[in-house]
Amino acid sequence: MVAGIKARHGVLFGAMAVALLCTGPARAADPDKFKIGGVVSLSGTYGIFGEDMRKGVEIAIEQRGGKVLGKPIQVIWEDDETKPQPAVQKTTRLISEGVQMIFGAVSSASSIAIMNIAKQRKIPHLVTMSADDKITVPNGSRYTFRTSNTLGMEQRMALSFTKEQKLKRVYGVTADYQATRDSWEWYRREAEKAGVEIVGADFAPLGNRDYSSIVDKIARSNADGVALFMTGSDAVTMVKQAGQVDLGKTRKIFGPVIADETMAAGVGPASIGVYSGVRYHFTVDNPANRKFVEAFRKKYNELPSSAAGEAYDGMAWWLDTVEQTGSWDKEKWVAAFENSVRDNSVEGRKSMRACDHQAMQDGLWGVVEKGAPPAPAYTMKIVKVFPPNQVFDACQP
Amino acid sequence: MSTLIIGLSLGMLLFLLASGLTLIFGMLGVINFAHGALYMLGAYIAFDIGRHTGSFVAGLIGATVLVAAAGALIERLALRPLYNRPHFYQLILTFGVILVISELVKIVWGLGYQESTMPEALAGTVELFGSTIPVYRLFVIGFGALVSGGLFLLIEKSTFGMLVRAASSDGEMVRLLGLPVSSVRMAVFALGSGLAGLAGAIAAPLFPIELGMATNTIIDCFIVVILGGLGNIRGAVAASLLIGLVRALGYAYMPSWVDILTFALLIATLLTRPQGLFFRATRSA
Repeated sequence: MVAGIKARHGVLFGAMAVALLCTGPARAADPDKFKIGGVVSLSGTYGIFGEDMRKGVEIAIEQRGGKVLGKPIQVIWEDDETKPQPAVQKTTRLISEGVQMIFGAVSSASSIAIMNIAKQRKIPHLVTMSADDKITVPNGSRYTFRTSNTLGMEQRMALSFTKEQKLKRVYGVTADYQATRDSWEWYRREAEKAGVEIVGADFAPLGNRDYSSIVDKIARSNADGVALFMTGSDAVTMVKQAGQVDLGKTRKIFGPVIADETMAAGVGPASIGVYSGVRYHFTVDNPANRKFVEAFRKKYNELPSSAAGEAYDGMAWWLDTVEQTGSWDKEKWVAAFENSVRDNSVEGRKSMRACDHQAMQDGLWGVVEKGAPPAPAYTMKIVKVFPPNQVFDACQP
Repeated sequence: MSTLIIGLSLGMLLFLLASGLTLIFGMLGVINFAHGALYMLGAYIAFDIGRHTGSFVAGLIGATVLVAAAGALIERLALRPLYNRPHFYQLILTFGVILVISELVKIVWGLGYQESTMPEALAGTVELFGSTIPVYRLFVIGFGALVSGGLFLLIEKSTFGMLVRAASSDGEMVRLLGLPVSSVRMAVFALGSGLAGLAGAIAAPLFPIELGMATNTIIDCFIVVILGGLGNIRGAVAASLLIGLVRALGYAYMPSWVDILTFALLIATLLTRPQGLFFRATRSA
């Protein structure tokens, strides 16, 4: 009992210590700088993505000489620990420190939380990673823009893959949170309409540590396709453990965002043959991408990941738009970005849709293959490019 | 039936991890928040040794020895001056150790996922009760049973174990008898840490190796320690297997309820038997 009481004290003090550690020094507003508040996951389930996004943004800033509107750009990075509550606290603090815009986050829950603050405080907000369709809806937030993929695009590609491969029976495993659940429900409805039988559907907690029981259920089912609606550590663990019983040899494993070079590195050989939507890829062949990949390799001595590419693309586009307005008026930036077209995006042409602030773009679908240097050991090969009209619905107000 | 085997393997893995934590708590009274970080460190070390030597066994031994050495160092440099202070000093200290280890891992291995392949001999699968079971899972069950038996003999039957138990119940008296209490404490902390390293090495081929390993597992570990009774090795074995089975059954029948089931078990135990499910059985530890 004494130990219990001591433990409780300990927890309290522990919490105080955490609170102390998380409180940085206040920074005074400086009108001589273009300040960006970057709220990304540097720890937690999606911690791996935040660091790559930071690298992408840094290249975007470097390529314009570190300046916009004649003033140096300063990015203040904060870690939301892949949780909405710290995202809210850190965004609020960044805004009080006078940032001109917010960049982030990784998890959709965090991005939606940030979106609401940005709307209230009338601060532009750029999303290049979170894919929840609710972030860009008609008559949504005036201040939030997404230049990256939506889960809607990715689930459409997954459905198209199901039909193309003529899969008959699909087993679905979904990370148990809102965005992935919505996405799975959509897929399930559409797949059933197309005559696909859903032979099983499991919802595992976000940050789940062991999928072997679920893998065993799939192995005992007669499914010919395994649809995974999850990403990050969840997808890596699931695909790795599926490989431990060779599930991929008899069934197609696919999902909206279950594989890229980062995730495949954690899975190893079992990732080969796994199909996934791809947000950005270093092999996309156009001058802008070649230039970006070269700059990235020179600075970091590695190829850019999806997270890095999308972050670079969004930030470069946004800063160019701000530059063109020649003004410090945030409303002018928002108005200009709403109707902006990016012909030289690293993923080809992107155009911002004024009705919902979503960038229209191609959808990339790929499969993991063995890579040859300088590409990573397990690398994505883009097998299909979907034009925007196949992966986006018309904007209905 | 296959669920049972999966449950046992989950439980045994959990035991390997929780045993070090419960040992350190039971014998030293230190709540080691950094246990999960030591487990992660073990996984990274085993991965790296395995990558360079191609030997799984070398990784297993290397991770255990190096993490035990790290534990001894932490005890000697950081914990020893704090034994006579209130508990929260130790909590804050071990919390700090997590940050140090995480940063070290980031510097050495980076932020990306790492992947450790299974040893050839254990890479296959067997057909059991209509399910395909990876041989490695069976190995984990056997290995866990071996370690639990060894640990039990060490603590309950050996001279070293007697000394440890004596030092934990009355350190001052043992010191007056001329026995090296400080060294015993350091050895216990090193042993507990070594077990965390060993668990990391065993877990490495099953899971992606990543920084999140530390935080993901430490909560389960604390649940095991609380259910089993603080510092109770036999309790830890039983609690680990119980949690493993609850989780495996949960994943098999209602995956979205797994965490809720685990925590419900914890809350029910705290309400009805706050000293742990297995308290009465082993008062001595």
